[in-house]
Amino acid sequence: MRSTFQDDLNLLETTLQEEGALVLRALRGALNALEQRDHELADEVIAFDDDVDDRYIRIEEGVQLLLARQTPVATDLRLVLAILHINLHLERMADYCVTIAKLSKLVPDVEPSPRFVEGFEEMGSRCEEMIRIALDSFGDRDLERAESLVELDELIDRANRRVVERILELGEAAAMREYGLRMVLVSRALERIGDHAVDIGEQVAYLLTAEFREFTDASHKTAGEV
Amino acid sequence: MMTDDVTIPIDVAPVEIAHERRAPDTAQREVVFDVRDLAVTYGSTTAISGVNLEIYRNLITAMIGPSGCGKSTFIRCLNRMNDLVPSAKIEGQVLYHGQNIYGDGVDPFAVRRRIGMVFQRPNPFPKSIYDNVAWGPRVLGMKRGLDERVEKALRRAALWEEVNDRLKRSALSLSGGQQQRLCIARAIAIEPEVLLLDEPASALDPIATSAIEDLMHDLKREYTIVIVTHNMQQAARVADLTAFFSLEVGEGRRSGVLVEYDSTDKIFTNPTDQRTEDYVTGRFG
Repeated sequence: MRSTFQDDLNLLETTLQEEGALVLRALRGALNALEQRDHELADEVIAFDDDVDDRYIRIEEGVQLLLARQTPVATDLRLVLAILHINLHLERMADYCVTIAKLSKLVPDVEPSPRFVEGFEEMGSRCEEMIRIALDSFGDRDLERAESLVELDELIDRANRRVVERILELGEAAAMREYGLRMVLVSRALERIGDHAVDIGEQVAYLLTAEFREFTDASHKTAGEV
Repeated sequence: MMTDDVTIPIDVAPVEIAHERRAPDTAQREVVFDVRDLAVTYGSTTAISGVNLEIYRNLITAMIGPSGCGKSTFIRCLNRMNDLVPSAKIEGQVLYHGQNIYGDGVDPFAVRRRIGMVFQRPNPFPKSIYDNVAWGPRVLGMKRGLDERVEKALRRAALWEEVNDRLKRSALSLSGGQQQRLCIARAIAIEPEVLLLDEPASALDPIATSAIEDLMHDLKREYTIVIVTHNMQQAARVADLTAFFSLEVGEGRRSGVLVEYDSTDKIFTNPTDQRTEDYVTGRFG
């Protein structure tokens, strides 16, 4: 029944997963560009954002037409709304990857402690894992995995706080201060990618339970958290 | 009496658009009907006036609008059904592959042979399922391979699986939705090019409606479909193109007019005319 509608829904979901796969590639590219100080790769990551935007726009248009023409209700309605939100979260993640790529080109010629690079690699790997879990939990309609994103995000938040502390220890030299400033923004970008992955998990929960809720209450975090 | 002496060209090359998700670009569309300045009056009442539009091959074109806007009158002009209304007077032209179906010497039966119609209420003959579908081919002398022809029509109408073990039973024993699909099978058994559907699902329940809508989607690979529907969402769901008709009232006269005709995507997301916007958003009509 309603085969066209079902086809359209499937196409939207496939395109969304495709967009997610592109975000993972962009993130890996941005992390490598940062670690290896590879400006060419950074430029590729920046240009690659057009591919993500292409999917983003196609999904936006598809959702618009589906809402206008098929009047989805119940689970179908929740799925369409979840796709709309997840689409936005993925697009923002890709924008953060561009930010990291741009910042990687602006790093002054200083050699800070390798612990920095290690810290970002750890945060980046956790981000990748979170994006994968977010996409899989959506694809598999797996509430438990979606909710598991909160704990993973906590690890990224902690790593982010450690990076900030290390930056404060970088010293007074102008180049080091500039480096530190750039790296705060990289760390912040990775931390935000983690937040968007949690938000995708929340959309999965909404899809499955029909309840609007945040996994964590950002406005009531404990003292000392960023 | 119907004859096979059809004066209207039918050997038009098929267009490969069956798997396209969206309507093809205007440039690629093949015009089946070119309606020019059409006006219909019943006695002193003007039903529609000044209607100009083209209908394209292998697409579903929906006519929507409030009651009395003339959408049914319009669709009935496409196969000269209004000839059967004594007071009806038709002006303008309805060009079918370039030939005016209201021109001199055009046989209305030949027109209806190419342009089939299915009505609001299922109207099977009080005969067997088989005889309903075989009726048209028999009248037209298409008697060779009749069994295969009946089976093919029932398959295309997505009814074969449900009735193949009881073809000799009365058509009136079928459910409303099955009867309507039988009427579609009866219409396509004589292999028309165009199917006109006048509110085909308005007497059906949601499940039967859904079956008819899926069927339309399949049928457009082989047929050009024009549907009149008062159910706006049905037009949104099934049609490639949508025409919005409205009733214009002024200076002591009322007439149905074509307000806007565009892709269904456009009509339901960003219509050009404020009257269309008001109608599709439910603020009028």
